[in-house]
Amino acid sequence: MNILTHLKSGAVRSLKAWKGVLVIWILIFSLVSLIAFPLKSGLKSLIGSSMITELLYDSINADVITDMSKGLASLIPAITSGFLLVFFLGFIMNAFLTGGLFSILGNKNSKPSLALFFAGGAANFWSFILITILTAVMILLTASIVGGISFAIVSAAGSGTSAPGATGKVIRIALIVVALLLPILILVADFARAWQVANNEKKPFKAIGIGFSTTFGTFLKSYPLMVIVMVVQSGFGALVMSKLLSLKPSTGGGVFLLFIGSQVLFIIRIMLRAWRYGCVTSIMESPSPCFQRSM
Amino acid sequence: MKRTVSLSIICLILMQSVLSQIINKEPLSSRQTYYRIDAKLDPEAKTVTGKMEAYWVNKSTDIVPDIQLHMYMNAFKNNKSTFNKGVGLNLADKKIDFGWIDIKSFEDGKGNDLLGHMTFISPDDNNPDDQTVIKIVTEKSTKPGDTVFIVVQFETKLPQGSFRTGFADDYFFVAQWFPKFGVYEPAGMRYAVNGGWNCHQFHRNSEFYSNHSVYDVKITVPVDYVTGSGGMLINEVTDADGKNKTLTYRAEDIVDFAWTTWPGYAVFTDEWNHVKITLLLPHIREEQVERQFLAVKNALEYLTKNVGPFPWPHLTFVDPPTKGSFAGGMEYTTLFTSASADKLPGFIHLPEMVTVHEFGHAYFMGILASNEFEEPWLDEGVNSFWEERIMDHYWGENSGLIDHPLLKIADKSMSRTSYLGSPNRQLITNREYSWNYPQGTYSMMSYNKAATILYTLMGIIGEETTNEVFREYYRRWAFRHPSGKDFINVVNEVVTKIHGDKFGPDMNWFFDQTLFGTGLVDFKVNRYYNSKIRDFKGIISEADSHRFVAAVTKDDTIYKSTVELSRPGDIVLPVDVLVHFDNGDSIMERWDGKERFKDFTYTGTRQIEWVQIDPEYKIRMDANFVNNSMTDNPDRVPIRRYTNKFIIFMQYFINFISL
Repeated sequence: MNILTHLKSGAVRSLKAWKGVLVIWILIFSLVSLIAFPLKSGLKSLIGSSMITELLYDSINADVITDMSKGLASLIPAITSGFLLVFFLGFIMNAFLTGGLFSILGNKNSKPSLALFFAGGAANFWSFILITILTAVMILLTASIVGGISFAIVSAAGSGTSAPGATGKVIRIALIVVALLLPILILVADFARAWQVANNEKKPFKAIGIGFSTTFGTFLKSYPLMVIVMVVQSGFGALVMSKLLSLKPSTGGGVFLLFIGSQVLFIIRIMLRAWRYGCVTSIMESPSPCFQRSM
Repeated sequence: MKRTVSLSIICLILMQSVLSQIINKEPLSSRQTYYRIDAKLDPEAKTVTGKMEAYWVNKSTDIVPDIQLHMYMNAFKNNKSTFNKGVGLNLADKKIDFGWIDIKSFEDGKGNDLLGHMTFISPDDNNPDDQTVIKIVTEKSTKPGDTVFIVVQFETKLPQGSFRTGFADDYFFVAQWFPKFGVYEPAGMRYAVNGGWNCHQFHRNSEFYSNHSVYDVKITVPVDYVTGSGGMLINEVTDADGKNKTLTYRAEDIVDFAWTTWPGYAVFTDEWNHVKITLLLPHIREEQVERQFLAVKNALEYLTKNVGPFPWPHLTFVDPPTKGSFAGGMEYTTLFTSASADKLPGFIHLPEMVTVHEFGHAYFMGILASNEFEEPWLDEGVNSFWEERIMDHYWGENSGLIDHPLLKIADKSMSRTSYLGSPNRQLITNREYSWNYPQGTYSMMSYNKAATILYTLMGIIGEETTNEVFREYYRRWAFRHPSGKDFINVVNEVVTKIHGDKFGPDMNWFFDQTLFGTGLVDFKVNRYYNSKIRDFKGIISEADSHRFVAAVTKDDTIYKSTVELSRPGDIVLPVDVLVHFDNGDSIMERWDGKERFKDFTYTGTRQIEWVQIDPEYKIRMDANFVNNSMTDNPDRVPIRRYTNKFIIFMQYFINFISL
């Protein structure tokens, strides 16, 4: 099977998993609401019946922020703790949801049901948390090593005037290196999780090992595939963030449309994540020497 | 005898030199001082050795027994100098390359050695370790109209880049580097009760007060170094051995002479009307050249139109490299330094802001040579006010500083935010000398509060009147030494000339409360309400009985509408109040602000929908714009929009961390 076939297979699987995608959206939205709506109420109570919001139409206004600084200062601890809570819960919840998603993306499940989604999430929860943490650590380590080497090169070059722009070039090269290594680590994590679900094993370290062997066993196929998927995901994310965040609807109807549009786009974003998992699962399920060995 | 004759000839040449005009057709100032300096940089030893021939003319009616000169490089000499005490320098923690200035010889015009007559003085704090001011008792007291000539051999050791002067590797910014005359103030000038030298020590928060002078300066540097200065380049000669070159500069009617040299500078030139502009910056920042020239040309245009002409045909500005960032953001009238970073997105207008600000000092301190030591607000505050006006005029009323779709910040907001956001905003008034501001309030008071005060003044008297105030200030005080009271006198005269007694006989009431007071401005809408006026309803007593009379409800119900305002702030200012009714009518009221509260009452069929104090946000000293308005139907759209965007951001963030 070629890359295109896996991309197509991943897309079909993700579409079939639409119920899981919707569950993920609802749960993430609910989680974010825990902090967003109290924040909104806090801001409304700070502004009260003032007309100062007319200064906020164009952008956040420094004068208004200054005048509300005392009130905002009282909101900041709540926002900070709320943010940390959402971060922590989001991380845990996603481990569960990812387990569910991988469970219904397998080919053997012709009818991906919500029951299977939740059962898969529960069955793989602890193991997926560990895989996610290990992968995050590997990514951070890689970034730190590349960053450290770059810093050493820049420092060794000294502060002379002989090579203007040398620092910028080193930083650009370091970013490119990290960007090239990132798909490998993501592949390792995805293969590890796909393998675990496929084999019904709860051995995260073994899964990571198999993730590495499968990644390099199928490297010529899986790496370009992951690059394509990540480019699409990142491009979509960047486009949405830049466009949506710069939109400035000035009516209540406009804001509502922005809300609806942004949520639809976020569902598509989750669908793209499911597409990535589906592609990796498809490669995992394809008959390859590496996969058979690891099975 | 022979030596005396030759020195006398030198003096005559010096006099001739200052009288000759090279840059402008006519002298711009009265020129009490003149400097001819021949200096050589030793890039290895980090020293500048020089010979200075200079004079000071006693234009007062006093007989003056001495002269006083700044020796500011000695501020960097040790940890006991007043400057380093002000910085809180802990020499135990750092390896510091000190800076100092040594006088090798000091003679008067007749060849008399004055070195023995030289003493270090500390007029500000009596610090015996400070050596930033010298006093020399001359052989004879200087009579009115007489001139004191001096010939000084000096060596200046540059410090490791610190507070706008010094070196970093092969980068040099040479400022405060030669002995410079203080200003002799006769009785009646500014605040002087008796005649005397105004020659302050070098402090952490002080920069300039000098006479407008002519400078003829020769600078010798290695041949591969690129040099810029506050003077006009007259000549450039390479030595016979090809190692060094000597550049000859001439500057007229500026208050200080500084220069910079570095092999890494790229040089660009541009023109605005009669002004030839030279920009020196590192090659890596060449993409910012257009931004920098646009900024300086905008400032030239705006200040020329609204204040007065820029009289010099030359202007040099420098964007120092990262290693020379210590030199950034400083002004020497026809030379100033900007500040930037190697890769700075276009939406951040930081280089433009610094360029506009430092160029503005050519007016406020350069041309209008106020005493920054004693009245820093008249220099930094006034200049910040104009910087903010220029930035917001050319780069967007709400985006003068940052112009990004997600975030816009007006430059004028930064001053207001710094002033009103400071916990020390009411500690002290603007009467203090620059080094006396306590608890880190110098910048907030001198730059930010003063600029906000001037914005508030403009909000009261109007933009065109404000411009006329500054035009008159320029006409009256250009190339002289105005004080704060001179500026306020100009305000009073111009405002009463244009507006009569609309604001009272003068504007002193404004400055007394704002500039020389610590109070806050705050106006507040307490509430408004609309109550129906009903016909009589109740009991009427008649001869021996009581009769009930019922109210008659009419279709055209009459309302008594009342607005209740208050003034929680101490400062009394007149303010506009806009009252809007449900039938679309609006009434603009004027509240003199004298009472702590004010009610406006209206009777009619219309009801009040909303009320706004200072609807155009002109009283920028107001400590809280939020309580300036009230409505029954507050507009929540922006809050909903920001909440929506926060949700989007958080959703993508959580999705991102889930791998």
